Amino acid sequence: MPGARTPGSRRWASLALVAPAVAIAAFVVVGGIGMSVVQSVGLLPLVGEAAFSLDAYVANGDELLTGTALSLGIATASTVLSCLIGLTAAIVITQGRRTGRIVAAISALTIPIPHLIGAAAVGLLLSDAGILPRILGIPGTEWPDFVGGSWWIAVIFEYTWKESAFVALVVAAVLSSRVARYDETAALLGASRARRLRHIVIPLARPAVIVSAIIIFVYTFGSYEVAWLLGRPYPEPLPVLAFRLFDSISLTSRPEAAAVAVITTMISLVVVALGMALLRRTPLWR
Amino acid sequence: MTSRRNRPHIARPSVALGGAVLLLGLAACSPTGSAASDQQNYETWNEVVAAADGQTVKLWMYGGDEQGNAYVNDVLVPAAAELGVTLEQVPIADTPDALNRILSEVQAGETDGEVDLVWVNGNNFGTGKEAGAWECGWTDLLPNMALTDRADPLLLNDFGTPVDGCEAPWHKAQFTFVYNSDTVTDVPASLDELLDWARANPGRFTYPAPPDFTGSVFVREVLYSVSGGYENVPLAFSQDDFDALTPALYDELTDLEPSLWRGGETYPQDSNELNQLFADGEVDFTMTYGPATLTELVANGTYPAGTKVLALNEGTVGNASFLGLASTSGSKAGAMVVANLALSAEQQAAKAEPGVWGQFTVLSFDQLSDEQRALFEALPESPVVPSYDVLSKNANPELAAAWVSPIDESWRQLVLAQ
Repeated sequence: MPGARTPGSRRWASLALVAPAVAIAAFVVVGGIGMSVVQSVGLLPLVGEAAFSLDAYVANGDELLTGTALSLGIATASTVLSCLIGLTAAIVITQGRRTGRIVAAISALTIPIPHLIGAAAVGLLLSDAGILPRILGIPGTEWPDFVGGSWWIAVIFEYTWKESAFVALVVAAVLSSRVARYDETAALLGASRARRLRHIVIPLARPAVIVSAIIIFVYTFGSYEVAWLLGRPYPEPLPVLAFRLFDSISLTSRPEAAAVAVITTMISLVVVALGMALLRRTPLWR
Repeated sequence: MTSRRNRPHIARPSVALGGAVLLLGLAACSPTGSAASDQQNYETWNEVVAAADGQTVKLWMYGGDEQGNAYVNDVLVPAAAELGVTLEQVPIADTPDALNRILSEVQAGETDGEVDLVWVNGNNFGTGKEAGAWECGWTDLLPNMALTDRADPLLLNDFGTPVDGCEAPWHKAQFTFVYNSDTVTDVPASLDELLDWARANPGRFTYPAPPDFTGSVFVREVLYSVSGGYENVPLAFSQDDFDALTPALYDELTDLEPSLWRGGETYPQDSNELNQLFADGEVDFTMTYGPATLTELVANGTYPAGTKVLALNEGTVGNASFLGLASTSGSKAGAMVVANLALSAEQQAAKAEPGVWGQFTVLSFDQLSDEQRALFEALPESPVVPSYDVLSKNANPELAAAWVSPIDESWRQLVLAQ
């Protein structure tokens, strides 16, 4: 009959629909990462003979270690802070009052601002020659070094600001579709607000928070411009190190840059795998 | 000097890379029009001019300098259009962006690449030459090369790499220290005295972290100073000289570190950041390859009114920057026409005007006609910046490009990372 389709043909139709997206993703992932791996082991030199070697991975050993530690620190701090603040904001949003709508509007406004613009704005605001110290009348020499300081505060602040808005909207969307009914039922049965938060809201939000955390961690771990603009020359996060090496004028440094990129990618993949394992263990994940 | 990231070390701080060029046409650029490849060997200038008509040339150059962008787009582009060449400026953040593009095209066997001309010098030129990024032996065809001094060492060697006709001269630059005379009363007369001043006034001096090219040349100036003058540092690189000379350099800079801005715990990432600190009065010195821009910066209030150029007894490093022609260019004739135009007395004089760009000319006054010389004599004098003759007095030569990466890399390990 016209219109009737077997489950098999429907599966093929849906495969055909996602094929373009899969093809593009495969092209980028296989092509980009593949090229990086090939370059990093010396098989695609700018000059000289191609020969397999792991030199590029050991050439910057110390900087790779400090860079990895620093990047992990920045990404972890940004992810944890974003999730805590974002979850709180999402709960406020789903309460549905006036404050909730204001928080939702602020979050929605934050999302479209590019990180580059955000970083420039944070720099103008928080640097020792910035707007804030001027408004407060504090001389630059006495202003804490948020920008370019040893704790990378401006960098983490920028990520947290942008990404907590992302968490707030994603989690609020999940909560608003499921939480109201359970919450009302529990309230009718006499559950206190604290108990409802602990037993209903947080468990329902958990899968969305985990997924958001994975995205934020991988993004902040591999992002270049914020760390460069608001950071300091040493130590360097992995993406900054990779780009400096790639941009270096020495012809041998391109494989080294590719090696840093490959390591960054591998750490990101491990984090995604850990996050997905955690997700599978949450009862609500289907 | 500088190597890497930077702009050609040229005069303005900002200037960096060079650009590439022009010709290809915009609109229809590459795929259509005359694009295709341009692999012929030209015997005479007339052949070049004929082939250039209708070509589009893309000039890749450091785009962070508004005056440079304005000069190229408002002065050079219309002049090229009169010669039938469509010139387009491609502003880039750093010269290696252009070089990396050419190298990728060389790897891919491209013959009508995106890059035609590049504003370049130093390491970027030397590395590109080694990797076959530049078309060579073409500058002898340019009629306006006759206006330069053929024996000028700055134009024969680019940071120790023989130019060999692979790039046409464009500007000269002089590394210059700048200070605020309202706050600095005991003015240093040598680099050694400058470092002593920094120790006596903690927190009021710093320099950009190499490989920023301005920071990079500062470190090399200190190398000259601790070695007792540039005469004692062989320009060609050798590991033995490096091992013998640089310990004193890094000892000096490590010793200086606690007296720097923020206690030397960190450094400005690039010269713009240092300039910002100077403009905000956080430090009393800045440094630049482009002193000509100071006049404008003082006039518009960005820099303090007491801003002055520091004259050092031992002189400072000077260099030239060039227009390199990419070996992968599909508009080589057009690029040559633009390079020749950029060398004309009219363009060089217009570019030297402080209100336009303030880049020092590469032409030799001995080679110019009276009319041409008058163009330069008509340039206004600046209240802040002395003339090029004064600035370039006792000019020090640039070390070979091979020195730059080891010095910068060791600085990161021995000074920055400690």
